[in-house]
Amino acid sequence: MSDDLVARAQAGDQTAFRELYRQHAGRVYALCLRLTGDGRDAEERTQDVFVRLWDKLRSFRGDSAFSSWLHRLAVNVVLNERRTTGRRERRGMPAEDPDNVAGAQHAAPLHLNIDLERAIAELPDGAREVFVLYDIEGYGHADIAQLVGIAEGTSKAQLFRARRLLREKLER
Amino acid sequence: MNESELQDAVSRLPKRIEPPRDLWPGIEARLWRRRWYWVPLAAAAVLVFLLIARAERSAWDVTALAGRPLIGTTRLAASGRLRVGDWLQTDDSSRALIAVGRIGQVEVRPDTRVQLVVAKANEHRLALARGTIDAKVDAVPRLFFVETPAGTAIDLGCAYTLETDSVGNGLLHVTAGEVEFQTGSHSSRVPLGALAQIRPTTGPGIPYVEDAPAPFVRALIGFDIEQRGTRARAVRTVVALARPHDALSLWHVLQRVDPSQRGVVYDRLAALVPPPPGVTRRAALALESRALEGYWTKIQRIQFRIMVLQGVREIDPRTGLAKP
Repeated sequence: MSDDLVARAQAGDQTAFRELYRQHAGRVYALCLRLTGDGRDAEERTQDVFVRLWDKLRSFRGDSAFSSWLHRLAVNVVLNERRTTGRRERRGMPAEDPDNVAGAQHAAPLHLNIDLERAIAELPDGAREVFVLYDIEGYGHADIAQLVGIAEGTSKAQLFRARRLLREKLER
Repeated sequence: MNESELQDAVSRLPKRIEPPRDLWPGIEARLWRRRWYWVPLAAAAVLVFLLIARAERSAWDVTALAGRPLIGTTRLAASGRLRVGDWLQTDDSSRALIAVGRIGQVEVRPDTRVQLVVAKANEHRLALARGTIDAKVDAVPRLFFVETPAGTAIDLGCAYTLETDSVGNGLLHVTAGEVEFQTGSHSSRVPLGALAQIRPTTGPGIPYVEDAPAPFVRALIGFDIEQRGTRARAVRTVVALARPHDALSLWHVLQRVDPSQRGVVYDRLAALVPPPPGVTRRAALALESRALEGYWTKIQRIQFRIMVLQGVREIDPRTGLAKP
């Protein structure tokens, strides 16, 4: 299904590419939203990811699952953008974000997810990126160090810091 | 909340969060723009390229061979560009080499002043105000021209030396191929191993071969510059002194002589170098271009063989064939 779509999109089929977007937009947006901590930034980065995907699609050889490859591409797009602009501006979660989260498929109590998402968004950039990549997305410290451009020790320290801050925020 | 509870909460976070609005139109618009963004860029790039190429084509490379020649008012250190309209000037101790587009080169000797007049793919034109140049061109005929105060040297695929003073007195010496020197409707064709004197009033003189005897050359000069009465005497001298090697001179005299003397000149030419098949006396005396061209082709071929095989084979100047 996805393999066929990917193959058709690689051949320049825009309909197939649009379908790929439909299938993966939620996953990419979630990642962008958590990494940026900002709904508007997340929308822009999601669009960046799919524009970049169109350029890079031909280089996908099927060595890994397409979703994993796309996920890695999305992480790179977001982190590269942050490195390029050097933007550290915190804008906080927009009002519509909790609704988006509420609309998503999940099993946890609604209020807990909203609080946790909001708390993650409010983390300092460095701590948030490491926390999202390690605890939510499952990357190891070595990978994170390479992706973010920090030392492994820094990644571990940022994770520790992020968890402590989250616990404090959620206990209030 | 302890560590375990936090991990538990994190593990229950949704993997997907749908964007609050459809982001596809924005993506599609960007992809569409990107698909066509290269059109204006490419058009601009092509335009810039054409402008640069045009600017480049309208300038020739110049290298200083000795001293420091002037381009305009700028002293040339090692190399530079001669643009259309620029004057290149050498003093008594400087020389320069001009690359004639991609078809040849011109060495500018000391005390010379030349201007780049036209630098196009189908026309390469210099003006030689005074001095001496050595030109070498490897191209089809009529691509390279040098204007002098007395007329224009038209390259027919050749190498030559051209000198002139500021009034127009000069000399054309061809060392390869052939050059036509034209003043108005008056022209001389100068093949390899021949020279033509140039005068401001009469334009190109009758060409003659390098080893032409001095009395013959003097007679030709007399023919070039004398008036009607004395000219007839010069023609008689030319006819009397002409050798088979001098056929190219007689071919020119035939076309410039008074019609009443044309027969004498033709008969002498035909006696020295028999006309090729198809060229009749009547057609030659009528100056029919086909007959004259046929005759010239034969004369030019003989001259070419004499020069090229000089020191290797002895060539019969009447036929162009090697002597046994």
